[in-house]
Amino acid sequence: MVADSSRSDAGTAAEPADDRLLEVENLQTVFHTERETIRAVDGISFGIAEGETLGLVGESGSGKSVTARSIMGLVDSPGELLPDSSIRFDGRELTGLSETQYESVRGGGVAMVFQDPLSTLNPVYTVGNQIEEALSLHRGLSGLEATEKAIELLEDVGIPDAARRVSEYPHEFSGGMRQRAVIAMALACDPDLLICDEPTTALDVTIQAQILELLADLQEEHGLSILFITHDMGVIAEVCDRVAVMYAGEVVEQAPVVELFENPRHPYTRGLLRSIPSTQRGADRLETIEGEVPTPNAPATDCRFAPRCPEAFDACREVHPEPVPVATETADADADHTAACLLYPEDETREQAVDRHAIEDAPPGAGAVDSGGESR
Amino acid sequence: MSRPGPERTATGLAGLDCDPGETLLSVRDLRTYYESGDLIGGQPVKAVDGVSFDVKKGETLGIVGESGCGKTTLGRTLVRLEAATGGEVRVGDDDVTQLSGEDLQAWRRNAQVVFQDPESSLNDRMTVGEIVREPLDVHDWGTPAERRARVRSLLEKVGLQEEHYYRYPHQFSGGQRQRVGIARALALEPEFVVLDEPVSALDVSVQAQILNLLMDLQEELGLTYLFIAHDLSVVEHICDRVAVMYLGNVMELGPTEELFEDPANPYTRALLSAVPEPDPTAEIDRMTLRGTPPSPRDPPQGCPFSTRCPVKIRPEGFEDVDDETWEAIEVFRETLRARSRAERSLSEQAREFLGFETRFATVDEVVEELFADRELPGSIREPVDRATDLARDGDEAPALDHLREELGSVCDHEPPAAHGVDATARESRCHRHDDEYEEPAAVGPSVGDAE
Amino acid sequence: MSVVDDEDATLRERLADEPVPALRVLAVVAVLVAVEFGALANLVMSLPWDAVGAALPGFLQGAAATIAGVGDGLAGLPTLLSRSVIDNAGYQLPSGEWVGTFMGLSPAAAWLLRVALIYAYGFVWLLVGWWSYLVYRDNYRHADWAPVDDMVGRFRNHSWGLFGLAIIFAFVVLAVFAPALGPTTVDANIADPYLHSIEYYSEETGGVEEIYVGDANGESQSRGQGGENVGPMQYDQYDRFHPFGTLPSGKDLFTFMAAGARVSLFIGVASLVLAGGAAVVFALATAYYKGLVDLGIVIASDSIQALPQLLVIMLASFVLSGTWLANLYNGGVVLALLFGLTGWPGLWRAVRGPALQVSEREWIDAAKSFGQRPSVTMRKHMLPYVVGYLLIYASLTLGGVIIGVAGLSFLGLGINAPTPEWGRAVSAGQPYVATPSWHISLLPGILIVIVVTGFNALGDGIRDAIDPQSDVETGQQDQTAAAGGGA
Repeated sequence: MVADSSRSDAGTAAEPADDRLLEVENLQTVFHTERETIRAVDGISFGIAEGETLGLVGESGSGKSVTARSIMGLVDSPGELLPDSSIRFDGRELTGLSETQYESVRGGGVAMVFQDPLSTLNPVYTVGNQIEEALSLHRGLSGLEATEKAIELLEDVGIPDAARRVSEYPHEFSGGMRQRAVIAMALACDPDLLICDEPTTALDVTIQAQILELLADLQEEHGLSILFITHDMGVIAEVCDRVAVMYAGEVVEQAPVVELFENPRHPYTRGLLRSIPSTQRGADRLETIEGEVPTPNAPATDCRFAPRCPEAFDACREVHPEPVPVATETADADADHTAACLLYPEDETREQAVDRHAIEDAPPGAGAVDSGGESR
Repeated sequence: MSRPGPERTATGLAGLDCDPGETLLSVRDLRTYYESGDLIGGQPVKAVDGVSFDVKKGETLGIVGESGCGKTTLGRTLVRLEAATGGEVRVGDDDVTQLSGEDLQAWRRNAQVVFQDPESSLNDRMTVGEIVREPLDVHDWGTPAERRARVRSLLEKVGLQEEHYYRYPHQFSGGQRQRVGIARALALEPEFVVLDEPVSALDVSVQAQILNLLMDLQEELGLTYLFIAHDLSVVEHICDRVAVMYLGNVMELGPTEELFEDPANPYTRALLSAVPEPDPTAEIDRMTLRGTPPSPRDPPQGCPFSTRCPVKIRPEGFEDVDDETWEAIEVFRETLRARSRAERSLSEQAREFLGFETRFATVDEVVEELFADRELPGSIREPVDRATDLARDGDEAPALDHLREELGSVCDHEPPAAHGVDATARESRCHRHDDEYEEPAAVGPSVGDAE
Repeated sequence: MSVVDDEDATLRERLADEPVPALRVLAVVAVLVAVEFGALANLVMSLPWDAVGAALPGFLQGAAATIAGVGDGLAGLPTLLSRSVIDNAGYQLPSGEWVGTFMGLSPAAAWLLRVALIYAYGFVWLLVGWWSYLVYRDNYRHADWAPVDDMVGRFRNHSWGLFGLAIIFAFVVLAVFAPALGPTTVDANIADPYLHSIEYYSEETGGVEEIYVGDANGESQSRGQGGENVGPMQYDQYDRFHPFGTLPSGKDLFTFMAAGARVSLFIGVASLVLAGGAAVVFALATAYYKGLVDLGIVIASDSIQALPQLLVIMLASFVLSGTWLANLYNGGVVLALLFGLTGWPGLWRAVRGPALQVSEREWIDAAKSFGQRPSVTMRKHMLPYVVGYLLIYASLTLGGVIIGVAGLSFLGLGINAPTPEWGRAVSAGQPYVATPSWHISLLPGILIVIVVTGFNALGDGIRDAIDPQSDVETGQQDQTAAAGGGA
């Protein structure tokens, strides 16, 4: 906990830009259990510009879903956001809002699509009822007007025969249709930002293709910003403008999508990309990342990926890396590409790089960790 | 009946002892239907509906398809977890679907399953050692001390440590639990292993570990795999041959490389094009399919894929109708099909009977929307109007029959036969392989790895 | 991990390897058994061996007789906690001196001492049980952690469950040690009062006189009005101590209650073993085979549940009252059978859901796929998940059975007089509820309430202990969720 206060100025690379719709800074969401405190999200920063799609990618347990729930204000006891966290949406600070204030955010600006459409929809009400409820809450529509709008929304999300479908129950919909209905519900409150938490993971590829196409159309039509959470690199490559790679509660690399795929800098990102079978056509064996994702339960004093990292060196176990710009010559000069790894910046010697990370990470007043060199 | 021990060699079923490359399993016209839950009437679910293929010793045969296509049921039928409704599964001279007694036990010893969900496939009140040992106990394998030693060596073989013997499954991560499941499946030195989506519940990095492990084990033990998956990239990586299933049927079957490079069947083409490539610069030329697969209770009469096929053959005399109009007709049929499937509540039945308006009475709006601003030739207008009339009265099934009679092509009427494609032993079920029609590849967008 | 290096060792080898802790446990157990050996032998000998002996072929009967002789001899050994060692029966001389009681204590003090010692003895057994679990866990178990550890941990933090455990512990000790706990015995005081006599100091004659217990009882009745009342913690005129007072017939209520606890416990446990056994077998069968088996049992259970249970039992016990069956254990066996036969559908309903749930798990398929026999699959892979639920519902039902038996006895059905049964005490005291003899109905009534509550509390505790979900949001859940694996 000691290091928390110091971390607020950590986002040197992620310069807050004024035109961004959502600005997340040093978000820390922890869950208290009897035995320990799990730091599910541990000081991450990113932003989403208007009309942009940011992909949040990582393995299970990396904290990507908790990030989404934190933005939506859906973190309940025993979880909480630590005080230094900041989530600004449209210039408004969301952390610390009361439940009723959050209602207006969820109704007005941010909507969420979950992984499992069946658990999002209430089985005892018709799909139409549920969309109409959202409409009456957020747009004050009711009666016939609401029904017509609901049908319109269902048509918007590509549900055929919407006039009949509106009076059917969720169980009468197929998986893909349900997810469309959920998206229609999300659209009912006319959001600016849509958070999609693994919206296609439970679906078959042909259905996934339909949903991704739909989301792309809707984004164009409504000028939506999308935070797209998934573990599927293929989906990321297809839908995102920029990508943030999460590992054990931290963003380890952030870059525009093409830059990330062509020039991954963090060893974890590289490993992740290489372990996808379709990137290694013809290879006999798949490259793997040995070991498992750790559960972060204490403030990081080292690189959490170090135990699995093929490029780890001694300092990796002593210094916590901070995001630094890593754009290369080949990339766009102002490509906003950062990685949290002691190997960078590449143009500095290893000792210099380690010192830089150590200084940025250290609490003010405390001496920087001796990083295994004669540097100090 | 000598008890099998560490020195056991014979499998107990003559057909299993063939040489690598020879046919181990020969599946012919296999059908597995589930009876509907209703006590009276009700259509059975045709989960596997007439499937034929061979599995060669030492190979990995992939079964891919979307959920509900029957691939899991197929795997379960092969290991006798489901009873086949018809057809046969030959191993040498024996038919697996008919085995009983000693022979069935021999088959059970030699055909094992690795399940999809590592959370659910291990009994979490037993230690890992007990779990892996159980098959050995069941088949009375060796002495207790030999069994324990075998479990130890199995644990090591799948990349776990010996001291994990006395741990409980809770204490493991998903990947490790899947390793335990693999160790259990290998305990009895099986010849044939059904891998039922073994990596789909795992993260990519862990998935790669398990895939490598499976390939190593196959090489070391000469195993034959039936690899069931919905993730095409995994199948492409691990399988020698692939069968693509749709609605209980194998649509295309062939060597992995050729099938992925140049898919012949329209469904395979659609499936492959739907997979997002982890390459943001890749050109997407996607065949997005319309709608969802039909219910396996009531599959289409002709080609199983005919309700969604983007390159469906037009009936004679309609070749000149413009694409959009034809698409509208297909959507109309799809809508009616969805309606005929919708359950009617009692009150709706009563309203319909009494002539009140129900949600099904909106068919005119549908027709209006689809066909309003189109000029329909009489040969189309007439059946559409007739179908609309029928549907308005709640008779979707006759309406559909009428449309199929009037506007259906060979795809709607006859199930396609397997056609040989290429010089290799690849086959695909599609009417377009008939000489009189254009090949699917010539009609749709180009798909496949070779571009 | 354990001290034993060789993980292959069986439990026996492990014991041989490191015998000291086990021997220590064994020594304590031996001491505990030794001090009560006579009572144990007595219990063994009190079983209906004659019936068994008669069934044996001739040449064995001789041997059986010899063994019986030895057994009787052993049963005669003195035991530490018997009434003869700490006797509370005696009389008071005018000087205030007590004659015949343990070390000249007053009967109340002697009785309380004995009760305290017996409960202490029971408690020591409880501790030894816990201790041997710890010894096993720390020294002999292969696994350094097992799911049961978490269950025990959760139960230890469950105060309501612990409260239930305490009550049930007290109740079971009362039932098990009934002969030693009462201030007098069922034989002497209740069953055959005119075959036993007591001595007392008569002020009239100024000397020690002897009187039949039956006659003495006649003088110590509790009949509410008119001074005829021996209340709780009082002596009667023959210097007999009555912790709970006397019945309207003058018999000792506490002795009656202690013996009645045995009957209630027997009926409750026996009927639930019967009902629970049937419920589990049927639940496993329905869950494993489904289909027609399920349907058949559903119909059978629904038919039974459609009948009003208590009315059927009343009817049946009335019909059976004249038969030989009704005489087994003074009617207790009939009641146990009836409650068992009518009780299984409820339990079956309760465990069918969990059984169906567990039958859907893939490890059942896995067991089928390598050819495990159905009976073993059910026992090994399904039963452990079902038995927890059964324990909960059984402990919740047990209270109902006790109430039911008491109710039947209250109505004059059920347990034959004069065998003690709690319900009959309530019934006997009913006319005197509003008189000074209120204790006759009230004390048994309160005890029934406490015991039933205790069983319910224990059931709650077990349920929460075996359910990992109740371990609200603690690490285990989040750990697995966070530690990765599931996509």
